Amino acid sequence: MDPIVRIREYQRDRVNFVLENVDLAFANSLRRVMMADLPTVAIDLVEIETNTTVLPDEFISHRLGMIPLVSTNCDAAMRYTRDCNCLENCAFCSIVLTLNVTCTDAVTMDVTSNHLEIQPHPNEGTEEAGEEQVRRSDTFGMPVGKKEADVDPILICKIRKGQELKLRCVAKKGIAKEHAKWSPCSAVAFEYDPHNKLRHTSYWYETDEKAEWPLGQNAREEEPPREDEPFDFNAKPNKFYFDVETDGSLGAQEVVMKGIAELQKKLASLVLALRRVRNGENEMDVPTSGDQTFGDQPVAGSGGEATWGSGPASSWGSSPGSGGGSSWGNNNYGSGGNTTGTWGSSPQGSANAWSSPSNAGWGSPSAQANGWNV
Amino acid sequence: MNAPNRYELFVLDEGEAPVEINEDTKIPNAATIKILKQDHTLGNMLRAQLLSMPEVLFAGYKVPHPLHPHFLLKIQTDGTKTPDVILSDACNRLIGTLSSLEGNFKREFAFKEADSSGAAGTAGGTFTTTDDPYGTGAGSGGGASWGNRDDYLDF
Repeated sequence: MDPIVRIREYQRDRVNFVLENVDLAFANSLRRVMMADLPTVAIDLVEIETNTTVLPDEFISHRLGMIPLVSTNCDAAMRYTRDCNCLENCAFCSIVLTLNVTCTDAVTMDVTSNHLEIQPHPNEGTEEAGEEQVRRSDTFGMPVGKKEADVDPILICKIRKGQELKLRCVAKKGIAKEHAKWSPCSAVAFEYDPHNKLRHTSYWYETDEKAEWPLGQNAREEEPPREDEPFDFNAKPNKFYFDVETDGSLGAQEVVMKGIAELQKKLASLVLALRRVRNGENEMDVPTSGDQTFGDQPVAGSGGEATWGSGPASSWGSSPGSGGGSSWGNNNYGSGGNTTGTWGSSPQGSANAWSSPSNAGWGSPSAQANGWNV
Repeated sequence: MNAPNRYELFVLDEGEAPVEINEDTKIPNAATIKILKQDHTLGNMLRAQLLSMPEVLFAGYKVPHPLHPHFLLKIQTDGTKTPDVILSDACNRLIGTLSSLEGNFKREFAFKEADSSGAAGTAGGTFTTTDDPYGTGAGSGGGASWGNRDDYLDF
């Protein structure tokens, strides 16, 4: 049974959909991965030069970290600092923003995210602009909504006449498992069984359960239980209601598509690792896992599909043993970097990701050798 | 200062094997598979997929300690396949389900035109820069109430 998806509402920063014919664990994994495993950019280091505002430095630093920055296509457009071959941070793995505001009028002034300006990295130009920079959109790393008049900026601090705030921020790529500021989602609503037919919960009530627990919108999607209906012990949840709301750093569509791709990546790395254990091969001989190839693809648009092929459902699902084996290219293990064809349907693109020298330093040797980095 | 790097929760150390398979010595066709740097996201999904496969007699997972970034997956099969083979099968099936889900999502997103009216920020509107919570009129343009008093300035 294939999963069924129905999008009920779709806006730039939120998508509401119903997912059917999947397992509870599967739906929950999708929710978890969207919240915690997608890379975005967020301010990570703050160097404060002058702060005569009423707020202490750490207070302002924390606020700066929470500001969503445009992170479209972040997995391909930026490196993790830990995977980068620079000493501290460089144009490949960081974005520098500055803020320099002084209040000279006799009015309370708002310091907002719109005052943050992207600066060219001091080391920029010493190296050639890499593939990462090419993949960045022109607003990449900017506070969300800076260029849009209808979006209110985020208030950082209020200053009065004579007060000044001058600082330099270094934004880095990360995931929300490290710090929640890197989460692309501000909220993911997740509901199933709105009538509580499965009795996965019990409602506390004072006098009347029905009156005190009104049904939500999602209850309209399902038949209410009859009064005399016996409890079905074997029933399993099958229909899940999602509402993915992003903070603007990634679009709602990108979050969902990247979430699916990220789950596939996790599973793929596990399959590779299992095969490696079975073949008893030396781990260090094995080329990188597929994630570079994944990251190499453009945004959700063409990337994900191309990577996994257009008709994979049948080949993966029906005969997992043999079908899986062949399409994964198990013979290519440890034979160097020429496993390209098995992963991407665009051999050029993936060939670069695997072996071209211009790409050196994309990922530390360890992270690649392990073939597992998240 | 001696805190471990936070990314050690989800990135494998150098040379660290992502999986360890321990075959059970007392139960036939059973193994406990330790999967490092992964959590409930993968563990629960795999457990559910394994249980739906007829060859599997038992499948369960646990995260032994919330501060240790790994989980244990215990699998017993009916003997037609070994636990590690059945686990890769489960992974492959999940990847298949995910790709079919991905295709469905792509189609659905293509149908739905992005509604640009849902811009971030306009929906909430809980704070605007012209707010004047204390009613002093000094919020955005007033400032007359204290603007000329030099003693108020904290140079």
